[in-house]
Order: sequence, then C-alpha cells, then structure tokens
Amino acid sequence: MSLEQLNSNRFEEIIYDNCEPSLVIFSRKDCHVCKEIVPMLEEMKPQYEGKFGFYYVDVEEDKTLFQRFSLKGVPQVLFFREGEYRGKVAGKVEEESIEEKIAEVLGV
Amino acid sequence: MNYPGYRQVSGPDLMKDFQKHAESFNVEFLKEEVISVDFSQEDKLIKTKKGKEFTAKAVILACGSEPRILNIPGEKTLRGSGVAYCATCDAEFFEGEEVVVVGSGDQAIEEGMYITKFARKVTVIVLHDEGILDCNKVSAERAFNNEKMKFIWNSTIEEVLGEENVEGVKIKNLKTGSSSELTCQGVFFFVGMIPSTRFINNSGIEMDKSGYIPVNDRMETNLEGIYAVGDNRVKYLRQVVSAAGDGATAAVAAERYIEELNDFHANVLQSDKKILLLFFNVLVNESLEFSTLLETIIGENSNDYKLCKVDMSTKKNLAEKYEIEEVPAVVVLDKGKVIKQLDCSMDKEKLKSQFDAISC
Repeated sequence: MSLEQLNSNRFEEIIYDNCEPSLVIFSRKDCHVCKEIVPMLEEMKPQYEGKFGFYYVDVEEDKTLFQRFSLKGVPQVLFFREGEYRGKVAGKVEEESIEEKIAEVLGV
Repeated sequence: MNYPGYRQVSGPDLMKDFQKHAESFNVEFLKEEVISVDFSQEDKLIKTKKGKEFTAKAVILACGSEPRILNIPGEKTLRGSGVAYCATCDAEFFEGEEVVVVGSGDQAIEEGMYITKFARKVTVIVLHDEGILDCNKVSAERAFNNEKMKFIWNSTIEEVLGEENVEGVKIKNLKTGSSSELTCQGVFFFVGMIPSTRFINNSGIEMDKSGYIPVNDRMETNLEGIYAVGDNRVKYLRQVVSAAGDGATAAVAAERYIEELNDFHANVLQSDKKILLLFFNVLVNESLEFSTLLETIIGENSNDYKLCKVDMSTKKNLAEKYEIEEVPAVVVLDKGKVIKQLDCSMDKEKLKSQFDAISC
C-alpha cells in the first residue's frame, strides 16, 4: 500500500493538528537505500491501519521540512506522537527496528 | 551496475529482474533474518528471528557482504546526523560544509570526489604514507588534482564528535601516536566490506580470519550438503556476474548431492539383499573390466546380492564416505552396514571365493 506524500501544509495538519501517532520517511528519488526502505514501509503499513500512520516526504520537493529537523541525509524515518517528535532511525534499517520503535512510541 | 545484456541498470532493478525470473520457475521467496543453523545432521536446520524453522538436505549460503563498521564512539549515534555511508544519497545535505572521508579505496576516493560538488572541503583520512592510496591510479590522479580534496596521511579516526549533529572528528596519527581534532559537519565511512557470515560462526563451517568461506570448484564448503556462493566466499572477483556463475554451479552440485542421497537411501541402505557397492571410473579401463567380471559372477551364481555401481567422477561424497580413493573398489553392505571390502582381483575364481567367505 503506497504511502501518502506530505507537503509542509499537510504535514502540519496530520502531525501537529490531528496529533496522529505516525512515522514519516524522509526520502529522495535517486537514493538507492531509500528504494529499499520505502517498499518495506509500504508492506508494513496495512498491519498498522488505524493505529499508526505511515507517511512520505520528498526532501527535494519540501526542503523546509528536512531543514526544520536539521536532517543530514536520507533515508530517515521520524516518529511522532501527540504532535511531539519522538526520535528517528537512519539509513538502511531492518523491519524489526521500525517495529520496535513503533511499539516504543505507542508505549506498548 | 555491470551485467551482460544490460547496458545500464541499477542494482535493485537488476535484482528485481532476477527475482521475477526465479518466480516464473515457482521459486518461493521469504524475507527473514536467519539467527541460527544446525548443519551437523543430514537434515540441515535453519531458524529465523521470527521463530520459523526450516529443514533441508542442502543449503546454499549467499549472504553477501556489508559495509564495515569501525565501532568508534559517535559512529552509530550520529548516523543520519552527519555520519553517512553513501555519497549519492547524502552529499547534497553538506552544501558548503566541511566533510571528512575515511578510507582510500576506489569507493572512498570516487565518492569523495562526488562530495566535492557540494561540500566546501573534503578531507580524506588515509592509513598509508603520504601519496599512497588504495584506489586505482586514474582516480588517485584526479583526486590529487582536485583543489577541494585534502589528505591526512598515516592516520585513522578514533571518535566522531558532537551531541545532536556531527561537529568534528578525533584523528589519531599512527606513526606518532598523537591525537588531534578536526572540525567538520559530516563524516563518510568507506572502510571496506565484511562478509555477512557472523550468524554461522559456530556452525562448523570453515571460514578465513575475515569471515569469508573457502569452497572448492563445486562451491562445496567443508560440510557435506552446504555450499557458499557470491561475495561471502573466498574469491578473486566480487561482481554480480561471478556471483551468478557461483549460484549456477552450487545449484547443480546441490541437486546432484540430493539425488545421490535419495538414491542411496532407497536402493542401498533399505535393500533386503546384501549390496555390492562398486566404485568405478569410465576413464579407468581396469575398473570397467572388473565391473563386467563382477556382473558375470553375480548373474551366474547368486540372487543374494544386488550390484550398485557408483561413478567416482560424479559421486565424490559417497567415495569419501566409504574412504574409497582408487577404482575399482567394492564395499559389501548388509542393511546399510559395511561388512566387508572385496579384494578386486581379476581372477574369477579368486573373486568368487570371497563371496563364499561372506555367505558362511
């Protein structure tokens, strides 16, 4: 299931206004590591339907977003809950690390 | 990526094509991490992190390799916050900044050059004496002529400094033993690859000191039924094309091995009659003549025996199992157990008399 791409406005709305517990992958089209991580997240998304949001930000299209979090590199997966930043994982991560991080953020 | 028949293709795209091709032959794929194996029995056991277990007669290890991690302070915690492993992914994030590259192989120098398109300055930390890089000569020449590339010789990195983001690195000079700090906003590590074979450390598989698996020309490891192919084996050239060749070899070798095993179980170990296991080689005339003689004797005399011919050139595992080195050789088996090894005399009477001796 493909990830909804967020621009700055939509990011505000979902992460800060709706306070939805979510992860957001910061990615770019020509990054080969991203090409491995994005499909993995797409595959994971249905299991978390209704419990945890999965979103996508293209850093080339939305520079302000990655500058706001002073990111140095892609892919990076940022986690949010109740409008608060709850940490990130960077680089070529395994599915397990994402699962663990989601559990941690949800306080399971 | 370089592969016959493809003018231009990325690694992941090439792998997708490989997968589709294999799926068209009904190959099943499962993405899981293997955490332990037991290769000591005829049925090999494999366990995954999610608790699944698999058994197989033969296993082909194609685990590849991964970038080496130096395990220095800051390397892991600052990953994505200035610590990076891929220039084409991340170089743009260092526009106008100062970057350190660790390593001097082809990848280090070529990716370092790419980073100079964005960074103000790229400092390469090199283990060797001044002027010596591990990369190819063309790249070295280009790097030395690039005004943005600086080099620090005889040195390595001890620590990546910074709280939230990379603020610098601690450099150790290997000749003098002295340490110094260099301010930078990014560190790219290109310190080579290591085989991803740690999970089989205690499996009995032989490995060299770096963790690469030595194999013979049939991709067989030291353990029967276990094969190793691609980047995780000891080899001269690590490319997709040579890995694919390894895979073809191992697949055929493994298929023959399993066929041999099944045959052997059905026809030899579970036979009601006594088995004469005859080892021959088509290139050794004597072994063919002996084979004819033995067949004649059995045809004339006895229904108690079943002859089972083993071609030494293809069934080496079986030869090893019964410690046969020369042909012809005959092992007599009763319900799977060795009861005698015949003296392969070409004298018919002498050979016959050996059967009488077994029967009593």
